Amino acid sequence: MNLDPQRFREAGQSALADPGLKVALGRLKTHFALGRTRAVARYAGDWEELREQGRAIRDYALSRLDSLLETFERNLMARGGRVHWARDAQEARDIVLGILRQNGARSIIKGKSMVSEEIGLNLFLEANGIAPVETDLGEYIVQLREEPPSHIIAPAFHLSKEQVANTFRWSHTDLDPSRLLVERSALVSEARSVLRARFESADAGITGANFLAADEGAAVLVTNEGNGDLSRLLPKTHIVLTGIEKIVADLDDAAVLLRLLTRSATGQEISSYVSVMLGPRSPGQTDGPENFHVVLVDNGRSKLIGTEAEEVLRCIRCAACLNHCPVYAAVGGHAYGATYTGPIGAALNPGLMGVRMAHHHPNASTFCGRCAEVCPVKIPLPKIMRHWRAREYASGLAPKTMVMGVSLWAFFAKRPAFYRAAAKIAARVLKTFGGRAGTIASLPLLNGWFAVRDFPAPQGKTFHELWSERNDGAR
Amino acid sequence: MTGRDDILSSIRNRRVKTAPRPALYRPPAVPDLVTVFVERVRFANAEVRLLSCDADVPVAIAELLRARNLPAVLHVPPGAASNFAWDMAPGLSLEASPPGSEDAALAIAPLAIAETGTLAYPAAADAPASWHFRAGFEIAIVRVENILPHMETALARLKERGDLGSTINFVTGPSRTGDIEQTLEIGAHGPKALAILVINA
Amino acid sequence: MIARPKVGLFVTCLVDLVRPQIGFAAIKLLERAGCDVGVPVQTCCGQPAWNSGADRHAADLARRVIDAFEPFDYVVAPSGSCAGMIKRHYPEIFEGDAAYGSKTRALAEKTHELLSFLVNVRGMQDVVAECSGLRACYHDSCSSLREMDVTDEPRDLLSSVRGLELAELNEPEVCCGFGGLFSVKYPEISERMADDKIADMQSTGATLVLGADLGCLLHLKGRMQRNGIAMEVRHIAEVLAGMTDDPPLGAADT
Repeated sequence: MNLDPQRFREAGQSALADPGLKVALGRLKTHFALGRTRAVARYAGDWEELREQGRAIRDYALSRLDSLLETFERNLMARGGRVHWARDAQEARDIVLGILRQNGARSIIKGKSMVSEEIGLNLFLEANGIAPVETDLGEYIVQLREEPPSHIIAPAFHLSKEQVANTFRWSHTDLDPSRLLVERSALVSEARSVLRARFESADAGITGANFLAADEGAAVLVTNEGNGDLSRLLPKTHIVLTGIEKIVADLDDAAVLLRLLTRSATGQEISSYVSVMLGPRSPGQTDGPENFHVVLVDNGRSKLIGTEAEEVLRCIRCAACLNHCPVYAAVGGHAYGATYTGPIGAALNPGLMGVRMAHHHPNASTFCGRCAEVCPVKIPLPKIMRHWRAREYASGLAPKTMVMGVSLWAFFAKRPAFYRAAAKIAARVLKTFGGRAGTIASLPLLNGWFAVRDFPAPQGKTFHELWSERNDGAR
Repeated sequence: MTGRDDILSSIRNRRVKTAPRPALYRPPAVPDLVTVFVERVRFANAEVRLLSCDADVPVAIAELLRARNLPAVLHVPPGAASNFAWDMAPGLSLEASPPGSEDAALAIAPLAIAETGTLAYPAAADAPASWHFRAGFEIAIVRVENILPHMETALARLKERGDLGSTINFVTGPSRTGDIEQTLEIGAHGPKALAILVINA
Repeated sequence: MIARPKVGLFVTCLVDLVRPQIGFAAIKLLERAGCDVGVPVQTCCGQPAWNSGADRHAADLARRVIDAFEPFDYVVAPSGSCAGMIKRHYPEIFEGDAAYGSKTRALAEKTHELLSFLVNVRGMQDVVAECSGLRACYHDSCSSLREMDVTDEPRDLLSSVRGLELAELNEPEVCCGFGGLFSVKYPEISERMADDKIADMQSTGATLVLGADLGCLLHLKGRMQRNGIAMEVRHIAEVLAGMTDDPPLGAADT
């Protein structure tokens, strides 16, 4: 299980050799991408206009991030909610633990929260004697397997139903071992009944939020299973973990983004549940939390403001970029060794984790641009990845062989006469290496090319040579 | 310096761009509210029936339960029971306790959204939010005149009525998951089924 | 439309080194489209440096290109990738630059990918060429598709090639795995992407693969050769210009 982003290549190689994973990753096309394509085609309005509106809503919010966060805080507090500000992962973990301890919470349930993965919350809470139980089905499954989620919205995307069944068999030991667990519906039913007791008995629920709305002081949760709402409504304490960049001006803006989010993510017009959370329970209500806390997490996000990577903060975590990325489709999420994977991971991780730690992510891209095409808020993902490559180069962190290669290339390319002379020689030499078959199977350098390919031999003379010959002949 | 101070000044010190507030988005017009609502509800894997008056509700509910081989027991939130003449469906018994995972529960939706086939439930003392997620089968009632075109219109209407309250649940269809092999399964932790009775009085 | 425009041919370093006849095919097509073609002093558009994050080298190379091609009415490249570098990324490099800002925008305005130029600017609708009884498939490079908006143009021109049957790939929008230096930095992933693309090509029953970006074609043909898959690969310009006497990519000299 790769938890180290610097081992992306090795982890990717293992992933490529895993036939079960290949089957699972095939569903990116047949399920996710196809779902999105259909939903976009069905949209009654103009999809490109909607994307542009989404971009403008997010850019406006980012340009007023500080005042919107203050407005949100004021409005939420007016309704009895509490707002906490965490500069980094450690502070966020401490704040959450503090809230749980203050409320004497022992039994904790969680809805899916990528921020909680990002800050390593579960391990920290377990080390402090409080073990949270994931209730989102995919998160529950990977928690049982002690794996991180492999996809931003589908945590167990890498697994087959047989693997899920096996996981349930060795985890739910008080159930009848001879029970059938062949159908997906049987697995879902089992999770429903096993987890229902947890919802009823939990002291605290921790969820994420898909959006924050400043004017109303609301957090918005977009889910399908119902676990998110059970986690937030039944326990006495509800903690929302969210990145600071999730805020928009008001719920109307959130409604627009919602149209983009569900279509881009799962191909739905809307999710089963969109929950607007405004504060603790009102007097007279018999459910809803008594304590409602929102933890705003920075953890490197504000540092991206004013940089060439700022647009990455528009992200609404739909995972469309993952679903259309040929690199993600080849190696899957675990190879990245990080919470955020695929193109958004490549654009975000160097900012959150540092260029050195996350250097593979922006480099492992062909810049095909499919991600930017499908991004509902028009993040120029390849441009941001290239920016991180430039930062890597300028910081002296790029691999020495590559830097030398590029410098050598640039040296010649800036001197046409040298370049032409060298190219003439190279064309002949390579043609000779190609032999009668016309193909080269290996060369001393460029192992990366020849590891998996031959090189079609050149014709033997350069264009510029032949062009000169032609023009000389014409005179 | 608190976390709050540091984060806010980090943002302020770095900000370079200003971006204009975009004009309000105009979502695609909904030509016929009831038709679109019904079509969207069905698309979202929920059942929908049109009734001509409140008096038809108890019998419709009894039929819905029978059709699913469910016991004739309906959990009804506080205060909602008095709206209907339950003696029209004598076999049906009412429960005031919160529904369990296999139970049927009634929900009154003050508003609905045609664009997506969505029910809007602002939580209230007599309309507990958790019921929408506890039940195995939710039976919702909405009046045709309360079907609005878009979420934006629903939000505006809720704001007109006063404070938004502690929470609003927008519910579209039963619960579902795609978490196993990315294949849709209806019925996850929330209700396994949803039926909507639209009163077209 | 300019009567007899002066077109600067951007040869591309791969065409220059590996397969000059693509350059000559491009010239033939451009002349047929009524253009006077010039080939100013040039080496590389700077994309390898740009994509590696070597911004200063990229800017140095870009200035040379901007200066060399300034005198022309149009700049045309038989490559979506190089044309894209000039048209889309040079303006990024020199945005706000006092010396080169407006010169770059002017150059970008008049830079085109070959097929798009022939069809959209010169109004070329057909070619006089023949490719007897061959079934071909066309590989859209990512840069042609997404940076240069080339979609119908190659197909329009190919439809006039006598004897050529064109089959469409099932997934033309999926990257072939070349991506410049990506192909050597992450060879295993590049290999998987190539194999998927080649399988798609084989499934069409085509025996000839055409494309407008030599980098993609070298990567795909190289992989086919490694795996013993016999499909002919050519740059589309060679077929459109009727210059198919010479062997295709990586084939034996007969």
